[in-house]
Amino acid sequence: MKDILVVDNLNMHYETLEGNVMAVNNVSFTVKEGESFGLVGESGCGKSSVASTLLQLQSDNAVISSGSILLENQELVGMSESELRKVRWNDISIVFQGAMNAWNPVIKIGEQIREAIREHHPENTKKENTEKISELFKIVGLEDSIMDRFPHELSGGMKQRAVIALALSCDPKIVIADEPTTALDVVIQDQILKEIKKVQELLGLSLIYISHDIAVIAEMTDNMAVMYAGSIVEMGPTSSIFTNPRHAYTKLLLESTPSVVGEKKKLRALDGEPPSLINGLSGCAFSPRCPDPSEDCSNGKLDMKLIELETGHWADQCCVNCG
Amino acid sequence: MPFPVMHSLTYFLIPNLPPDAYQKVLETYGLDKPLFERVQLYVVNFFKGDFGYSYKYFPKTPIELIAERLPRTLMLFSVVNIVAFYTGFFIGKVLAWRRGSKSETWITITSVFSYTVFYPWFALMMLWFFGYKMGWFPIGKFLYPEKWYDAPFDSDVIFSMMIKFVVIISLLQFAAYTATRGIEALSSRRNVRFASLIAIFIGSYFYWNTGEALARKPYAADIAYHMILPVLVVTIVAFAGTALLTRTTMMEVLKEDYILTARAKGISQKRIRDRHAARTALLPVVTSFIFTIVTIIDGSVLTEQIFSWPGMGQLLLQAVLEEDIPVAMAAFSFVGVFALIAHLIADISYSYLDPRIRVKSQG
Repeated sequence: MKDILVVDNLNMHYETLEGNVMAVNNVSFTVKEGESFGLVGESGCGKSSVASTLLQLQSDNAVISSGSILLENQELVGMSESELRKVRWNDISIVFQGAMNAWNPVIKIGEQIREAIREHHPENTKKENTEKISELFKIVGLEDSIMDRFPHELSGGMKQRAVIALALSCDPKIVIADEPTTALDVVIQDQILKEIKKVQELLGLSLIYISHDIAVIAEMTDNMAVMYAGSIVEMGPTSSIFTNPRHAYTKLLLESTPSVVGEKKKLRALDGEPPSLINGLSGCAFSPRCPDPSEDCSNGKLDMKLIELETGHWADQCCVNCG
Repeated sequence: MPFPVMHSLTYFLIPNLPPDAYQKVLETYGLDKPLFERVQLYVVNFFKGDFGYSYKYFPKTPIELIAERLPRTLMLFSVVNIVAFYTGFFIGKVLAWRRGSKSETWITITSVFSYTVFYPWFALMMLWFFGYKMGWFPIGKFLYPEKWYDAPFDSDVIFSMMIKFVVIISLLQFAAYTATRGIEALSSRRNVRFASLIAIFIGSYFYWNTGEALARKPYAADIAYHMILPVLVVTIVAFAGTALLTRTTMMEVLKEDYILTARAKGISQKRIRDRHAARTALLPVVTSFIFTIVTIIDGSVLTEQIFSWPGMGQLLLQAVLEEDIPVAMAAFSFVGVFALIAHLIADISYSYLDPRIRVKSQG
């Protein structure tokens, strides 16, 4: 399979009055055609910063200091705003966290989707665009009449379905789903997840699924990466990571999630808080919270660096031997 | 005399009235009737729009006076309001968009200055500078009387004609804007809108150069020339409120998630600013704008006094000062009704601007 998105050694920080917040450190991953890639980690670990950096939608104080983002051999880092505008939505689209607020309250749903199509396919007629939206609505299970509705007239689940339709409106090659189910109740959440999976298989999309819920990642993705403090600490096939987690953080993350099947285990909670990312970290970022740190981990001599343990299964070198 | 009405009457007529003439006056104004009957008559006449006769301009009724003065005020202040709203809204949205830049700081400071400046002083300074020192604009009055000696018509005719012209132009533009909303491709939509604007320009050029309008053109131009300075002064004072309010509300809107969505969609910056941010920020701005329209008439008292513009404001002020009670009553009632209508328009327009307020019949 072809590589759609290759992120290589991406570094991004936010410039603040207290110093630079190193939000994304040396992140590298590859997403193949038709594959779904999961990004998991606790709040503030840099998942969403990665997502916004991919589309270059970061806030004004964000700086990409190094690295490259190759989307089908197009380098996105350093692209001008007008070139980026062509890439956005046409090649790479995003389903934002909290779809409730993703719609402009005073513009009809149909018009907001139409607007995106119009921007990238100005030659389309009105009828063609309407047909396109109607087709998308059919895929995500919405009625055509929704087009003439305003966002406040829709339920949360409907809005989220419409957001998925919006994300697909320009036939992107890759869709980023940034916690798309956060604000929904579990029943709707399950429906939306199935919808995303269905759409992805139907259209052969590549998907980057970002969540703090490791169970959702297990259900949705082929490959995954675990992030901690702005860095990827473990990466590999989802099945391999779930059956054989190598990094101490991943192990704890898995043990903190209740399982419906199998023997009953006591859930473990992780003490402490994630480190402050201001002015960066040296050594192992996880060592202060590591329950049973190995020598490599605690002495802080080794820098964080992914090493390949098995084929395709990578983990941070400092913590592979921790308990 | 126990009644102030009677007092004013005798004051304006002859101080030493003969008794039979006095009786006659009483009968004319219905003052010989019992109090209850008089109240009833008054209420009935109020709703009929009959306010009696002006004491000062005797044979004329207050309604006639208002009908004569209102077009002058409406002409001046509709132009002021349109100009002030557009400049204010445009400057406000640019300010919010360029948050943190140097130009933003300076324009904000200027706006705050013109928002808080003592208006009569400012108007007099402008009048002194542009009217007296530079001599570019006439000082006061709404026309040069010497030009109008042999004019075959009243200034009111010209005023109502000019108002009709402004209204029709705005309606045409609005119609062109609405009609082109269905065009899908943005570039052709823009072109059609531009073409319609040019067509309106050409149309109005022909309108003023043919037939009846051609004969009236020099008079209309005279009035328009007299309008420039008042419009400029009131606009400078009035735009700042809109600009500052737009800036504040739009800065809130820019933080919303849907602005990020719009950016992610690859939409151009200008379109995000105008279509997404400014459109949503428009709601409170329009409300405050309509409430300033309410103050047109009472606000015009100051302006018209300073620029000697004989409109509603001056009529109201003179009527109060000279105890021309029927006229004062009529003018104040008119202001009240005008305010009610403006609030109604505000409510209706709000439901068009914000779909969340619209109530649909369920079914």
